[in-house]
Amino acid sequence: MAVIQVEDLSKVFQIPLKEPGLKGAVKALFAPKYEPRVAVDGVDFSVERGEVVGYIGVNGAGKSTTIKMLTGILLPSRGSVRVLGRDPHRERVANAREIGVVFGQRTQLWWDLAFIESLSLVARIYEVPKQRYAELLDQFSELLDLGELLHVPIRSMSLGQKMRAELAATLIHEPQVVYLDEPTIGLDLIVKDRIRGFIKEQNHAKGTTVILTTHDLGDIEELCQRVLMIDAGKIIYDGPISAIKDRFGKHRVINFETLQAASHLSLPAGAEVAGAEPGKLSVRFDRTRTTASQVAAALMSQVEVKDFSLSEPDLASIVKQIYGGALKDGMQ
Amino acid sequence: MTALWRSFRRSVDIYAALGAMAAKARLAYNWWVWADFVMTIVSMIVFVYFWRAVYAGTASLGGLALTQTITYILLARILAPLIETRMIFSFGYMIRTGQVAVEMTRPVDPQLRISVESLAEAGVFLVQRLPIFLIAWGFFGLALPADPALWVVFLVSLLLGLGVILLFDWCFACLAFYVTETWGLSVVRIAVAAFFGGTLVPLAMMPDWLQSLAVAMPFAQGLAVPISFLSGMASLADAPRVWLVQLAWIVGLLVASRLIFSVAVRKVTVQGG
Repeated sequence: MAVIQVEDLSKVFQIPLKEPGLKGAVKALFAPKYEPRVAVDGVDFSVERGEVVGYIGVNGAGKSTTIKMLTGILLPSRGSVRVLGRDPHRERVANAREIGVVFGQRTQLWWDLAFIESLSLVARIYEVPKQRYAELLDQFSELLDLGELLHVPIRSMSLGQKMRAELAATLIHEPQVVYLDEPTIGLDLIVKDRIRGFIKEQNHAKGTTVILTTHDLGDIEELCQRVLMIDAGKIIYDGPISAIKDRFGKHRVINFETLQAASHLSLPAGAEVAGAEPGKLSVRFDRTRTTASQVAAALMSQVEVKDFSLSEPDLASIVKQIYGGALKDGMQ
Repeated sequence: MTALWRSFRRSVDIYAALGAMAAKARLAYNWWVWADFVMTIVSMIVFVYFWRAVYAGTASLGGLALTQTITYILLARILAPLIETRMIFSFGYMIRTGQVAVEMTRPVDPQLRISVESLAEAGVFLVQRLPIFLIAWGFFGLALPADPALWVVFLVSLLLGLGVILLFDWCFACLAFYVTETWGLSVVRIAVAAFFGGTLVPLAMMPDWLQSLAVAMPFAQGLAVPISFLSGMASLADAPRVWLVQLAWIVGLLVASRLIFSVAVRKVTVQGG
């Protein structure tokens, strides 16, 4: 059953146009002019129960606007959203009971109060039974290492501590759908790891559906089976992460450390020198046309090689290619 | 019927928890209570000497004797912060920073939540004000009625008056969805409310046309009307009429506030994204 159903979803903001200077300010006061800006443009997708979907795109691509329409904060300009069968804007309160939202750069906790007080208030708002609350508090304390944070007010927490606290507060009512808007922004590797582990565990144990926006491809690789990529308000890719890797990861690079300068090398078809400097040489090749061993053998027969390494394509470079327009220019 | 009762009980529980939390959060700022304490004492001294000087050559002004005016002004000084709600400013802050997004993902009604929290804070404030109340009574000539019925009438009227102010501020604060800059709005609102709410000069001393203007605004309902019972400007017999007027304000503003918010919220453009 589809938990989230999005059809032809669009959002157009009216951006006020102001001419510079005092004259412009006065004009804007009496006869404001607006310019429409399309943030989300005819997006369609659906998400099944228990899926973890990565929603990625460059800044301003429309990620957060989509999330805000899914959570009921923004009213769509066109199209429809159903979350668990409800219209999230019209049935905002009923929808809010079933979902959890983390905005990486904001807090839902009470700034001046000890975390445990905020947490128990959140539990009361969402009507978590007392005993269940105690169980979850134990579980979360262990998974997120909350022990020493419980009596600290939010305002004196570090970024990483705050995010762990946020996540616990977001999931304390065991929502069916969780939206995480850049949950690992600005965090160190250890905290990132803990947070990813926690999300994974909640997804496995409870079948929680997760929509995750991020610029951190580590998040995507760790957590998401499926990726939605948005660019200029339109979905440009919807599919498994592995397909992206296969499609765009067909080039590999071998880095050689050489003992002598090499010139006029002959390489197998599909391979080319990607960079050369004294003592170093990197060769880029197409995996579908030749193999690493052919490239290495060919090179080693011509130059004395001290060492070499094969670098795996990482998602970052793939995404860079896609954002750069590779998908639009002929892959589809 | 039981389902309705149960959902009512659930709501009471949720909003009571929110109110208690707001009260606790207010108590976290102890230093502010002390700063406010000192400022209020100073302003009471200034106002008492000012009004004594004004009354130097006369026994009655606008039909009020000196003790009535002093009592009225002292009560106004003590309770004035009640009608200077932070709603407009915090509304603007919420919208400017995008915190409104978090607000809207909670399964609570924002207006009811903020109102309950404000009333809880008002309760804490009144308790914190007790020492000042005693000082004013002991040293500045605050003359209070002995009849407990007048106190009950005053408290009910104060609660209704706070309701009027909160509802008015909610309507006014909705402007924040359109202008995003609310500091100016907030300053204007506090200044207008202080004058027309009668916290600087008793309304009875104003010329007729200014008085009718003040009555047409909701601010007097918040402060001048309730404290008129304690300062001897209104009697028990006035209570039913006063309550009815306050209730009428509440009903009118309640309808208006729901309408205005439902239109204004469509305007939400949360920063970023």
